[in-house]
Amino acid sequence: MRRTSFIALIAVMFLVAGALSPAVAADTIKIGLYLPMTGAVAAYGQMEWDGIQIANAMMPEVLGKKIELVLVDTKSDKIEAANAVSRLIEKEKVVGILGEAISGNSMAGNPISEAAKVPTVSPTATNPLVNQGKNYAFRACFIDPFQGQVAAQFARDKLKAGSAAVIIDIAQDYCVGLANFFVKEFVKLGGKVVSTTYIQTGDQDFSAQLSAVQATKPDIIYAPNYYTEDALMAKQARDLGINVPILTGDGAQADALIEVGGKAVENMYFTGHFHKDAASTERSKEYIKRFKEQKGKEADAFGALGADAYFLLVESIKAAGTTDGTKVRDALAAVKDFQGVSGVITMGESGNPVKSMVINKVENGKFAFVTVINP
Amino acid sequence: MAKSQRHLLLNLAGILLVFLVLLLFERHGSLYQVRILNNMAIFITLAVSYNLVNGICGLLHLGPNAFITIGAYTSALLTMTANEKMMNFIIEPLIWPLSVVHAPFVLSLLAGGLLASLFAFLISFPVLRVRGDYLAIVTLGFGEVVRVLCNAFQSVTNGPLGLKGLSPYTNLWWTWGVAIFTIAVTTKLVNSSYGRAMKAIREDETAARAMGIDPFKHLLLAFLVSAFFSGVAGGLLAHLITTISPTLFTFFFTFNLLIIIVVGGLGSTTGAVLGAALFAWGGEALRVVESPIDLGFLRIPGIPGMRMVIFSIILMGVIIFARRGMMGRSEFSWDALWARLHRPAR
Repeated sequence: MRRTSFIALIAVMFLVAGALSPAVAADTIKIGLYLPMTGAVAAYGQMEWDGIQIANAMMPEVLGKKIELVLVDTKSDKIEAANAVSRLIEKEKVVGILGEAISGNSMAGNPISEAAKVPTVSPTATNPLVNQGKNYAFRACFIDPFQGQVAAQFARDKLKAGSAAVIIDIAQDYCVGLANFFVKEFVKLGGKVVSTTYIQTGDQDFSAQLSAVQATKPDIIYAPNYYTEDALMAKQARDLGINVPILTGDGAQADALIEVGGKAVENMYFTGHFHKDAASTERSKEYIKRFKEQKGKEADAFGALGADAYFLLVESIKAAGTTDGTKVRDALAAVKDFQGVSGVITMGESGNPVKSMVINKVENGKFAFVTVINP
Repeated sequence: MAKSQRHLLLNLAGILLVFLVLLLFERHGSLYQVRILNNMAIFITLAVSYNLVNGICGLLHLGPNAFITIGAYTSALLTMTANEKMMNFIIEPLIWPLSVVHAPFVLSLLAGGLLASLFAFLISFPVLRVRGDYLAIVTLGFGEVVRVLCNAFQSVTNGPLGLKGLSPYTNLWWTWGVAIFTIAVTTKLVNSSYGRAMKAIREDETAARAMGIDPFKHLLLAFLVSAFFSGVAGGLLAHLITTISPTLFTFFFTFNLLIIIVVGGLGSTTGAVLGAALFAWGGEALRVVESPIDLGFLRIPGIPGMRMVIFSIILMGVIIFARRGMMGRSEFSWDALWARLHRPAR
């Protein structure tokens, strides 16, 4: 009866796991976090968790009560994300939710928090569809259309580009979205898109796409992809003798880009959410200092947006004077000139913030700050 | 009372019991519990239909994610209203006939299942020519092809942006109704002459052929039935989480199903049901190990990913101690239960 005893053993393990409920301190305000701590985009979840922890240390109380963070992992998966939000609301009884890091998972979580009237602030879900038609969904980042537009303005005004070649990773909604909005705005501003080529996440060889680009002699390359593909692509472009500037989005701004790309990514431009040298508010200065002290590294954009999501929610609870979902929601919608870590935030239509954007570039193997573009 | 009649009554009583439990949860359970039960039923449907090909026919088929994707997209595109579609397709508009068609939920599920079956029929000609590792590779390839096509055909699937804002039609009655129906059909099929032929092919294809069994015909049947229910389950899943995108249906989805049926016992429908229930419920129950635990004298910080570690340990335990899974190839039966209850105590 070995098998029966084995089944019994598994059953006992689950029962023990169920009995070990986490200790709950009384009289706290619970904020739920659903983040991809494991799985394909675990890096984002972990960076945001770091930032939220720092923010929590900076502002540990609201309405005279201690704030308790309840973190739930989504395994970077939609089904798990939906489960997680349901769990946070029903089982943990949280008053507000932060997350998810990526748009697809936020779209799975938002309908549930919307139905339960629990306000949600996502740090980095940039897809315009995420908050569409939702009353209780907010975010701390700007949306893809805005980033694409600013990239196009920067390319036309500052880089004086007349023609652009666009290279898109079609496996990522983020890249497709950005590229589309860039193209629209670039053409509107009188630019010309001379070639559009497609890559896929995980591709190693971009010679076919780059040869097509080379033939059209563009003034710039717009490649709003993630860092792995952008680093490899930049290397191969420079090897082929394509020396025009490369402009990309915030997804490429990771240390791994420079590690892989080396000299080839020098002078690559980024539109992004945050740079520590662009810190303008008291809060961001304090955040950057604390981050460096406690985590032993420089503050990054994901952490900063995680912290901003936290501050937005907590300050709104404070402004509402209650944890009532509807009143907190109203306070969030009324946020104006909010002094955040990533800049000054005013909540615009349907929970999408209006905020300034930073332009960074790679200089001497480091991310250097170029300029701020205000909305 | 004849044996078969007694079994029928017992089965009906069992279904009634499930019905009462569901009613209890629908009335008094939290939405979180209802969600887990829905997930459980969908995974039971998927595991049972997947087990039909992998366990009963013995084909290492690694492409159920293709069928689930097709079912999910078909059903989603049919239930969305023209207005919702316009809001979703912001980059490239949806192509004509799809942009106006609209069907009730039940028809959309059927359409999802049928389209998945049609796809299974088309790929069965190349797939069923090969066996073993080669079949695994070919089906894996088709699974990936479907996902890549979903990414590429923006004007049909909205590409990587995915679809969102589907109406949450899926409820306990749909999911468990489909799950019970799937179990019933699969059990009937497995216990019929077709099912015995499938098992014969699994054990020794040459011998089965010598006995006059046409392997292609029987495997195709299993493939089509499996694809149909996977497609329906895909539609249910889409309307449960109300948003889909190609990233949901990667190979990892297939991999989870494979784990479920291996842990449950390859070739056992009962095992597939148990494995799926354990997977859907256990995944949530084990979240406790990831949250901080305060033992009074010792505070353990939560470690994300611990659930997966425990799942891996269970899987290793199964491989070492119960190599054929929880059920092996045995099935639940009323007679066995009866015999066990009336066995004198030792």
